[in-house]
Amino acid sequence: MSKVRIVTDSTADIPLELREKYGIKMVSLKVLFGEETYLDAVDLTPDQFFTKLKESSALPKTSQPSPVEFHEVFDALLKEDPEAPIISIHIASVLSGTYQSATIAKSMLEEAGENVHIIDSRSASSGHGMLVVLAARLAQEGASVEQILEAIEERRNNSEVFFLVDTLEYLQKGGRIGKAAALIGSVLNIKPILSLESNGTVTSVDKARGTKKAMAKIVELLKASYGDAEVGLIVAKTDDEAATHELETRVRAEINVKELHYSSVGAVIGTYTGPGTSAVFLYKI
Amino acid sequence: MALLGASVLQSNAEKVNALNVFPVPDGDTGTNMNLTMASGVTELKKKPSNEVGKAAEALSKGLLMGARGNSGVILSQLFRGFAKSLAGNDQANAMEVAAAFQHGVDLAYKAVVKPVEGTILTVAKEAARHAVQYARRNTDVDDLMKEVHAKAQEALLRTPEQLPVLKQVGVVDSGGQGLVYIYEGFVQYLTGSTAEDTDAIISEAAPVEVYVPERTEPVSAQAKLETLDIEFFYDMEFFIKRNVSNAAVAAFDESAYKKALSKDGDSILVITDDDIIKVHVHSRKPGDVISLSVQYGELTDIHILNMREQHREILAEQGITEHSTSVNLSAAELLAGQAIDDRPTEHGFEVAPYGMIAVALGDGVAELFRASDVDIVLSGGQTMNPSTEDFVKAIESLSAEHIFIFPNNSNIILAAEQAIELTDRSVTVIPTKTIPQGIAAVLAFKEDETPERNKEWMVSAASMVISGQVTKAVRDTSIDGVNITEGHYIGLKEKAIVTSQPDLLAASKELLESMLEGDADLITILTGEGATEEITTALCEWLSENFSDQEIDLQYGGQPLYPYVFAVE
Repeated sequence: MSKVRIVTDSTADIPLELREKYGIKMVSLKVLFGEETYLDAVDLTPDQFFTKLKESSALPKTSQPSPVEFHEVFDALLKEDPEAPIISIHIASVLSGTYQSATIAKSMLEEAGENVHIIDSRSASSGHGMLVVLAARLAQEGASVEQILEAIEERRNNSEVFFLVDTLEYLQKGGRIGKAAALIGSVLNIKPILSLESNGTVTSVDKARGTKKAMAKIVELLKASYGDAEVGLIVAKTDDEAATHELETRVRAEINVKELHYSSVGAVIGTYTGPGTSAVFLYKI
Repeated sequence: MALLGASVLQSNAEKVNALNVFPVPDGDTGTNMNLTMASGVTELKKKPSNEVGKAAEALSKGLLMGARGNSGVILSQLFRGFAKSLAGNDQANAMEVAAAFQHGVDLAYKAVVKPVEGTILTVAKEAARHAVQYARRNTDVDDLMKEVHAKAQEALLRTPEQLPVLKQVGVVDSGGQGLVYIYEGFVQYLTGSTAEDTDAIISEAAPVEVYVPERTEPVSAQAKLETLDIEFFYDMEFFIKRNVSNAAVAAFDESAYKKALSKDGDSILVITDDDIIKVHVHSRKPGDVISLSVQYGELTDIHILNMREQHREILAEQGITEHSTSVNLSAAELLAGQAIDDRPTEHGFEVAPYGMIAVALGDGVAELFRASDVDIVLSGGQTMNPSTEDFVKAIESLSAEHIFIFPNNSNIILAAEQAIELTDRSVTVIPTKTIPQGIAAVLAFKEDETPERNKEWMVSAASMVISGQVTKAVRDTSIDGVNITEGHYIGLKEKAIVTSQPDLLAASKELLESMLEGDADLITILTGEGATEEITTALCEWLSENFSDQEIDLQYGGQPLYPYVFAVE
């Protein structure tokens, strides 16, 4: 039986070596700095992006892949092996039209599309990426579509995402602020503790005064979720190495981390979080 | 009799103040008890009666409403029990008076969560116990009162034996002393001392009722008031004529109308007659007031005065110029006005699920609370704590289903809690003892959670903060092994004095060092009167050199008497 093929988009922030190792196909979103257009994770590395973000006066814009771009990828995979099912996993549909594009691409395949499964990760960045990598690993091991879909649903339900941003300005200007909007312009250096709701909407689950107290609160929240259970941790690197490192240290001091991975916040996600972001993604093993 | 009691207390208020154990310049027991008593006397004068039961009831009601500070609240409870016991009596014999004293003590003990011996409570208790015993053998009320006074005096002298901190400082309990002065006044009355000049003294003592729902520095003198502090600055007066036009007019609901006015106004007075309503209000938005009022009928005799303009004229006459910060302030105020406009309103008000009332000292601190969603900030006043009545008024001016109160001072908690009993609104007092605790508690608030869970979080958040304050010692003393010199800067960690230094910077550093002994993530500095930019900068530099693991948040507090208030959390 043909192995399941896994497709995703660039917002999953999966490092290149992992994509290659598991044969994950990626469709890039685009990042636009003024007149210049870059393919996310192809033309623009995370480092290059944050440097440009600092230098550029105007905020970058992003655009989702067209259905045609997905169609090309699906079509090519089906030509390689018409029997191989495709699972295409995407950034939360409440955050981006990417899922919509992929869905249209599937319908363009007509009958062949029946073997293509478009999945809304209801998450973003490594919260989305961890599902893709899990699916790809299971696919490589020969798991069926049903087994994979079940496994990623379970992973989705026992994972946690927390992130801190330097300023809410980017989320607001990018129209992705969700329920954290209430905290704009607050005094006393209030840091919202950001997370994603079950459908992927950005939300503020709590707040704290200052970054350090916010990190302490994230650890508290994680402790409440996981206790002493064994978990996997993905630390998302950004331009703020010190903050990211401190958050990692605090989480590892209190939480029983058995698997540790690093990812990098890419250009599209970075456009919405802005500089000075730190994020952790956890899942129960 | 009560008038003389109040009078003797009033003339000795400063002596009582001087007995305050802590050499910090606020929370004066004498002032608090005096203002509480004055409120009782005012009520008594409104309803003079020859019946002892009714007179005691009037006094008790006034005391209850005017209660300020812990000693004031206890005093009000003592007389509440006293009045309850005598209710319905025309006269009282010695036995009844003694029983009334005892009932007062019983109620006061119940009102205090953790009664401490060696305080006003003990003085009242021993005096009452003696009264009950004495009344079994003697029937003369005058003699009984003398005995009560003597026994109270005796009990007072023993308070240093009961409360170690009094002994350490070498004073008797200040609240107990206040009570003895009141009893002394009673005795003077009964033994025939004339009440001459009592009236003059009392009216002097009566507090100026300054109740401003939002901006609340007590108005003591025009010169102390910034023109822009007059928030509701259009003084409006007009009549609504109900039946002159044929057009249908809306039904008039006085309490809803007042609530609507209070949204952007204070000093509200509405007098409703059959076909005419007289309205007086200080409002920030005269247009809204007119639009609201015109629904109920035709408006006549409309007077609108700009009080800021009047105030500027007064200042000009006195040769005082306004502060240069006025431009910024007015910009901020414009924004604040806009934010209010953005809220969806029906007749200018709506019922919110939650309301918050905080007590604060200093314009900066008040602003921090307001920016953190606190609806009403009551002034903590350096020697005038808000009374139970102030809390009741604040509670009733809020249109919210559930109200949280943050007293932010250990001497204000009881007065706030007493307010709960005097209103039918749903109110929770979060017993915050310091401004830093209050800020932490307010920030723990979550709109979509129940009052019970919110209380839990707020109390827990407050307990995670270490509070510190720097102020000037008002007298020489020695507490907890720290020798304190008048005029030196003392550092208080929670309630304990940890340092006394001639130099503000040195005292601040030493205090912070003791506060930073454990783990901490954040140091907040609230600058008050007496803080200088130079010292603040030096302090911040010293902190970032020595405590680099902590974030520092520097905020303007504007609190009087305390150059610095610190929070470590």
